[in-house]
Formats: sequence, structure tokens, C-alpha cells
Amino acid sequence: MTILEQDLNTEKEILSLLDEILCLNGRSSDFSRNTPLLGAIPELDSMAVVALITGMEERLGFAVDDDEIEGSTFATLGSLIDFVEGKLAN
Amino acid sequence: MLPFFIPGEGGQRFCLYHPANGLTRGAIIYLHPFAEEMNKSRRMAAIQARAMAAAGFSVLQIDLLGCGDSSGDFSDASWQAWQDDVLLAYRWLRTQTDAALTLWGLRAGCLLAGTVAVNLPEPTNFILWQPVVSGNLHWQQFMRLKMAGELASGQAKGVTAQLKQRLASGQSVEIVGYEVVPELAGGIEASELLPPSLSNSPITAQPDILQISEAKKPAVAWFELSTRENATLAPASQKRIEQWQSCGYRVQAETIQGPAFWQTTEIEDAPELIVATMAALEAF
Repeated sequence: MTILEQDLNTEKEILSLLDEILCLNGRSSDFSRNTPLLGAIPELDSMAVVALITGMEERLGFAVDDDEIEGSTFATLGSLIDFVEGKLAN
Repeated sequence: MLPFFIPGEGGQRFCLYHPANGLTRGAIIYLHPFAEEMNKSRRMAAIQARAMAAAGFSVLQIDLLGCGDSSGDFSDASWQAWQDDVLLAYRWLRTQTDAALTLWGLRAGCLLAGTVAVNLPEPTNFILWQPVVSGNLHWQQFMRLKMAGELASGQAKGVTAQLKQRLASGQSVEIVGYEVVPELAGGIEASELLPPSLSNSPITAQPDILQISEAKKPAVAWFELSTRENATLAPASQKRIEQWQSCGYRVQAETIQGPAFWQTTEIEDAPELIVATMAALEAF
């Protein structure tokens, strides 16, 4: 798998998780890297953030230490993808 | 459907009884999940309980101490108190019917079912919906809610460590509106979804299941949900299922397509789970 393919896969997984947890009914297909998440999507509350982290751990096979996460991690779709790629590269 | 209260330690427990339509073919106790997951899953529990009653199974739903419409605050709840509540529910249900027993749990309710079964005087079947297999992991994930709530304010760092410290010093912690005492957090943390014969409890009322004839061995219906097609069971679950099988349980495990209704933002239905659960129950 090339790096580009992996990036696309990660993005796809994250979007499908967001859609499922936030009940977006496919609205996530309009999201781009610049789409703001935390504070911009009202459905993204504590429970949804935790569901998202847990879902990423389960589907993408890495473990997140709580201290690794900051508000900026969930600022935009792009920042979230970068965080996940960082985890996958380790 | 009959709403009523059972008197228990520290007040009353709210119960909903769905008596079987016609001849009673089975007796079922529903154990709800932890904290907010309980509220999110009320609808699915109600739909399933009604479907069971219509098919001839008597179902008792109990709100555990400090939960739902039962007495007490969440801070009154301990893991032991909840186990006592299940025994309370069991004794009441046995005044209504002698039909074969099934404990039906969702998420942490499965963990409670597995923990308490060792103290039941008879073997029981299990229906496990998206079971929490590790209480430790479940508690870690619950503590994350506090951390997630602080993300926007930039105060998330060290939140989990502070919670652990408070609990270790015997103080309760507040997480998304739930006040949790160390007795509850510690009880959940120490629990694993194990077959009753493998549990650490020194006293077991359970008969040796390996001695029971094959057709009469208790059954376990284990369901996990995924929105993806052809999803497989979580690897952590596979290992647990083998333990249940090696202790003599007939286990049917399956991944069902449907939403994670106990945590989705909107209240969602998983109709395929209802269908699969009824089919499993028929085959018990």
C-alpha cells in the first residue's frame, strides 16, 4: 500500500466512524480536511468523542493514552487524521 | 406490562414486568448498561422485552440502585449492591414462574450477569448484547468522558490521573453528572466476563455444568453490532467465548449489522438484533 492509499483509507475509516456515531446520515461525505469538528458540530459531545476514540482504537488497532489527546486533536477533520496517522506510523 | 417497586436495601427498586403471553416458556431478567448507556438503550430494551413476552417469555426489567426510577443517588451504588439487586429480581421472578432462567444483559449489564450468576442456585442461560468483557477497560473508557468534557477548555491533560488519585484516597468522583464511589469503580474494574465456574468467588451455588447432559447445558447467545457488512467478532471476545465453551456452555456468537444504539447521538433501533435474539431464544 502506498502512503497516499493509506491516507485515503484512514480518512475513510474516520469519516465512516463520525457518520455512524454522530448519526450524520451520510453528511460526512461533504467533509474536507478543513471541516471544523469540536465546538462546530453540536452532536460531538463527550460521549461522542469517547465513542470516536474507542472506535478508532478498535478499528485501526492502536491504543491512545488519554494524555496524548488535546482539544486541538479534534479541531478539524485534518487534525484528527494527522493524529491517527501519527499513531499508525509508530 | 406491569410497573412496580420491589423493596430493597436503601429503598425501592423500580421494575417492569412483561408477563408471557400464554404458556410461560422461559423467565428472563434484563440488566441494563452503565450510566448514560442505560438511557440511550431504553427503547431497544423495551422493544426486545415486548417481543419476548409476546413469544411466551416472562421478562423482568429492574433499575439498579441509584439508576433510572429506583431509590438512591448514583453515589449510593456499589458493585455489590447491584449484584444484590439482581438476586432481589431473581427471587421476585421465581414467585411468578418456574420456567428456565435467562440473564439478558447489555454492555456492563453482561458483566453484572456473569458476576452474579455464581450466586444463583440454578444454572442460567445468557443473552449478551455487545458484552463488556473487561471491567477494567470499561472503567477506563468511562473516565475518558471526563477528559473529553475538558477538551474544549484545554484542561484535559492529567484528568484521568486526578480521578484515579481521588478514588485511591477513598473519595468519590464526578463524571458527566454521575457521582461514582470507589466501591463501584473498583468493583467494575476488577470484573471480567467469565463463566461462573471460573469466577473468583469462594462460594458457588452453581451446579457443575460439565456434568449436565449436552442438550440441557445452559446456552449463551453472544451478539455484537457493527454497521459494516460481514464484520467479525472482536478478538478479545473470541478468547472469552472459548473460556465459556470450555466450561460447558453452548455458545452461539454472531455479529449483527446495526448501530451502536447504546452510544449513538440519536436514539436508534437495531431490528436485526431483535430478530437474532428471538431466534437464539427459540433454540435455547
